Amino acid sequence: MAIIKGYDMPDELYYHEEHSWARVKDDRVTVGMDDMFQKEAGDIVFVDLPDEEDEVEQGEVCGKIQSRKWIGKLCAPVSGEIIEINEALEDDTGLINQDPYGNGWILVIEPSDLENDLENLIHGDAVVDFIDREIKRAEEERAKA
Amino acid sequence: MYSWRLFKDTENPVSPASGLSIDDTLPLSLSHHGSPPILHLYIFKPSAIVGKYQDIEAALRLDRCRDRGIEYNRRSTGGGTVIMGPKVVALGLGIDIDHPALGKGIGGVFESLSAVLTAALGDLGIEARFRPKNDLEVNGKKIAGLSATLETEKAILFHVSLLVDFDISLMLDIMNQPALKLYDKGYSCFSQRITTIQEQLGHDMDMEPVVESIENAFTQQFGVSFEEDEPDTWENKCIQDFVNTRYTNPDWVFSHKHPRSSMGMGELKTPGGLLEIYLSLAGSTIEHIVITGDFFSTTKDINLLESALKWTSARREKIEEHLSEVWREDMIHGVDVPTLAEAIVKAKENLVRM
Repeated sequence: MAIIKGYDMPDELYYHEEHSWARVKDDRVTVGMDDMFQKEAGDIVFVDLPDEEDEVEQGEVCGKIQSRKWIGKLCAPVSGEIIEINEALEDDTGLINQDPYGNGWILVIEPSDLENDLENLIHGDAVVDFIDREIKRAEEERAKA
Repeated sequence: MYSWRLFKDTENPVSPASGLSIDDTLPLSLSHHGSPPILHLYIFKPSAIVGKYQDIEAALRLDRCRDRGIEYNRRSTGGGTVIMGPKVVALGLGIDIDHPALGKGIGGVFESLSAVLTAALGDLGIEARFRPKNDLEVNGKKIAGLSATLETEKAILFHVSLLVDFDISLMLDIMNQPALKLYDKGYSCFSQRITTIQEQLGHDMDMEPVVESIENAFTQQFGVSFEEDEPDTWENKCIQDFVNTRYTNPDWVFSHKHPRSSMGMGELKTPGGLLEIYLSLAGSTIEHIVITGDFFSTTKDINLLESALKWTSARREKIEEHLSEVWREDMIHGVDVPTLAEAIVKAKENLVRM
């Protein structure tokens, strides 16, 4: 478990630059949104999910997430077939805020090109740089404002 | 000076299908057609427009809409129901997500666009301010609502409704909010929460000076000039596709992709007086709340508390957290945050599925 600048970014996960995460286990990839996203977005109102058996490409927008009056995107961190979605989110989207890496998982993908896809994701030491970059960008914008 | 395109028509009210289809085309034109940012300023025919993930049948009394000739539809941006008409400025903006003058992240985007509207209203002599996270207010009363969606990889669509004049009686008749349905003083309740440019100025106002102020504010805040334009052939095809696939398509208008709607009312006797809470939830989120009763407070403070809770989680700990963020001593005389949260939880216990 790694806390980077106040954000919980578990070491074992792979991160897409649009803040989705991927956990690889037994040839299945569980996907959710990271702690930085949920803190920035605030309370999640609704998650518009794809259907099981849909095919997605790495980086493709495969879902929409509404927080307050903003509708943002869920980008697939890897390519493959969606084999499971988290039905608990239908009743309580707050799970993404409360437990983004546990009960707030969003969907599971059966990957089609995992090895190559993982090389394109942010992992290990690079996560610190990623969070630093995101914080710096936010600070620059605030300074401009 | 960098030039943006301006689609403007404040003389001919359009149907929701037409106006919203043009708006949805704006970010696509930036992403796929090489257009610079496009500002669309226009007016709707009398209509009710729900947010993308709202339950339209729970939000609106569709029979009353039909009886009164009020069109209804679903927009592609988030948030709740808006009542539009010839005296409400409709604004659609397609802009690059990484535009240098646009704030970063969700909060930054809304703050940047709010600054434009605040400047526009200031130009008209109205002192407005941004009420985080999504509204613009004057003395605690909402005058404009903002919403947005990230439709493509590169560009966002931003929606604003700015009230020049507003028919609260129409809203009470066609909307299906709990406070409207249950609260017998609906008119006074909502007239204390909403204001208009005409009310603030104390006289009638044409639309043209209002939209000119908005144009000027964009020019100053973003350092751009405007070139009046119309959709080209590529954009017109896109617009027609949206009319066909979304805004005249019952699968879109009556979409079932939304959280469950529920409404309820709760009462709590407190040392400060009776608290009455009217609550509507979208899934586990507070979509709308009215705090009323016989306690001592100000309209401004009550509106601030309600606004702090809208579009946030209805869990007790989150309610207390969000109330505490704006709470000041004696905001409601004789009532503290845990007591107010308790009243809201009582309303939650009485929720009825819509």
